[in-house]
Amino acid sequence: MIELTNIARVYGKGESATSALRGVSLAVEAGAFVRIVGTSGSGKTTLLNVIGGLDSGYSGTAVVDGKDLRAMNDRELSRFRNGTVGFVFQHFHLLEHLDALHNVALADFFASGDGGDPLRRAGEVLERVGLGDKTGSRPSQLSGGQKQRVAVARALFHRPRLILADEPTGNLDTRTSGQIIGLLESLNRDDRLTVVVVTHEAPLFHGATQTVRLEDGRIVGANIE
Amino acid sequence: MTLHKLGRFVAQNIGRNRKNFIFAGIGIVVGVSSFIFFTALGSGIRRVVSTEIFPLDANRITVIPRKAGFSGPAGLRPLDDAAVKALEALPDVAAVYPRMRLAVPATMSLVGGRFPEEELARIARLPGVTPDIVASVKRLDLWLEIMADGIDPRLVKDEVQFGAFADPPEGQPVPFLLSKRLVEIYNASFAETRHLPLISEIIIPFVPSLPLVINDSYVNRGLAGPQENIRVRIVGTSQQALLGGITLPLATVRALNRRFGGEAAADHFDSAVVEARSAAHIASVQAAVREKGYGIDTSQQRMADSVALAVTLVMLGFTLISLTIVGVAAVNIGHTFFMIIFERQREIGLLRAVGASRADIRAMIHGEAAVVGVAGGAAGILLGTAGCLLVNLLAVRLLPKFPFKPTQFFAYPWWMFAGGMLLAVIFCLAGALSPASRAARLDPSQTLSGR
Repeated sequence: MIELTNIARVYGKGESATSALRGVSLAVEAGAFVRIVGTSGSGKTTLLNVIGGLDSGYSGTAVVDGKDLRAMNDRELSRFRNGTVGFVFQHFHLLEHLDALHNVALADFFASGDGGDPLRRAGEVLERVGLGDKTGSRPSQLSGGQKQRVAVARALFHRPRLILADEPTGNLDTRTSGQIIGLLESLNRDDRLTVVVVTHEAPLFHGATQTVRLEDGRIVGANIE
Repeated sequence: MTLHKLGRFVAQNIGRNRKNFIFAGIGIVVGVSSFIFFTALGSGIRRVVSTEIFPLDANRITVIPRKAGFSGPAGLRPLDDAAVKALEALPDVAAVYPRMRLAVPATMSLVGGRFPEEELARIARLPGVTPDIVASVKRLDLWLEIMADGIDPRLVKDEVQFGAFADPPEGQPVPFLLSKRLVEIYNASFAETRHLPLISEIIIPFVPSLPLVINDSYVNRGLAGPQENIRVRIVGTSQQALLGGITLPLATVRALNRRFGGEAAADHFDSAVVEARSAAHIASVQAAVREKGYGIDTSQQRMADSVALAVTLVMLGFTLISLTIVGVAAVNIGHTFFMIIFERQREIGLLRAVGASRADIRAMIHGEAAVVGVAGGAAGILLGTAGCLLVNLLAVRLLPKFPFKPTQFFAYPWWMFAGGMLLAVIFCLAGALSPASRAARLDPSQTLSGR
């Protein structure tokens, strides 16, 4: 599903240049549940952005779902993000002026072709994450856990094959974190989605099939459970 | 992103930023409304110039004999009956209407004391005539040097308001036409201050016949030859009539010229109005007329063009002011979009994450700018039109009467509204160009992480 070869990412130029990734190579099978761990600033989020096609300023080769991301132009990368990847962020990034249903259906605006009634599909995925009764709620009316579940539903809306979650439990209490982790694990187990999670809280993700440890932009440990 | 989806998305965003957009769009509204106001005013003034002051028929030209030529006297073409026939025979010519000046001077004395009592009584019954006006008519002591010419009655057949415009039987008053421009000047600046009745279509049938002495002059008392006293009666006003005199039927003038100036004075016309089959044929007719050795009188056209150019230049100045206002508004719109984009950086990052391309982001910002433009343009058009209507109402009611004072100071050509709308949309899009480009270049990985 994911094949990274010698990925390097440098921010800035000259003396202020900072290396976020230094020659990272990684292979992830389809259907895997990967947790990427490491200290703050170790390059976890950068790695996730490279895999998701959000960051294209790297060197090396990133092949995801059989597609060489560096060979794609902006339009093709956008289509890749819209069709293949679902993102879940630590800060939810829900749009305050939209209710849960319309937040979930956001990706439909950029989808090519007719995928049916977007609001009906959004209702289905909200039901799937246990928020079938919150379709009309604005983000300000939802708890942290509910917001993150709406964000997961948004990631699932366009039936992706890969879920990329960046610290999905970083803003949640322990009980709610457990619910979100359980949700991600069930997506991996029941829906056969490949899930890559960046986390500080590695022990919470019991269902992970693969762990990647990053330190100072390098993989210092990778094991498959 | 399809147009339909873009429309839905833009509608969502416009709603939540409406306060910002309303403030940003005020400049557009002001600029477009001033554009509408000045363009409508300019069009209105040009319309008065071209239809009232210097009326021009698009399918007519005035042909004159050449006064001199390098080819010598043999090359000069007199404008006589044969020439008129030759002009009528030209391709694309529908009709030729010759005109001829009265070859001798004439005078008219309007002395109120000499008016018959029954004529004065008729004047007193005219609509709008007060006892004060009747008293002024009785005191009238007007001695006029009259210039006259004759025109083909077919040329003015639609402008005769009373009776017939034709050479009358012996002893009957000769019908005459007054210039519409002369009447306008008389009504607006002469009659009122001297308490004289205004000339209008309604009173024309009631105006008594007036005395005209042919071969007489107050300026030159030494004229030789006999004089002839005739009576003339106004039958209408016409754009074709002589500006500084009266216009009689061509046959009457021809007969008078024959009596007072001989055959030569009765044979040569001074000019002829040549009517083409349509305005589209005018160029070919002009060329054919010149080919025949005749000149074309463009003095009316030149005067109309000069005035229209002056009006256009003044209005262009005002239009430039409008454009400046809209330009400043476009800069303001640019600032507003920069502010909005700064506030929405993370949102733009999210949109990129869920599949928006750079082109989608640009289209989104341009779509919002276009909506501001359309709304601002529509509001500007409404405000500008309302301003025109209000100013027109006040001008008609409050401005003193003056020659050619129109009842409509403004004209509303369709292209003006289209231009106002286009102006608003183009300037809004131009204002949003740089912010849209910046928004499209935002790095989603950086904006989402808050870097």
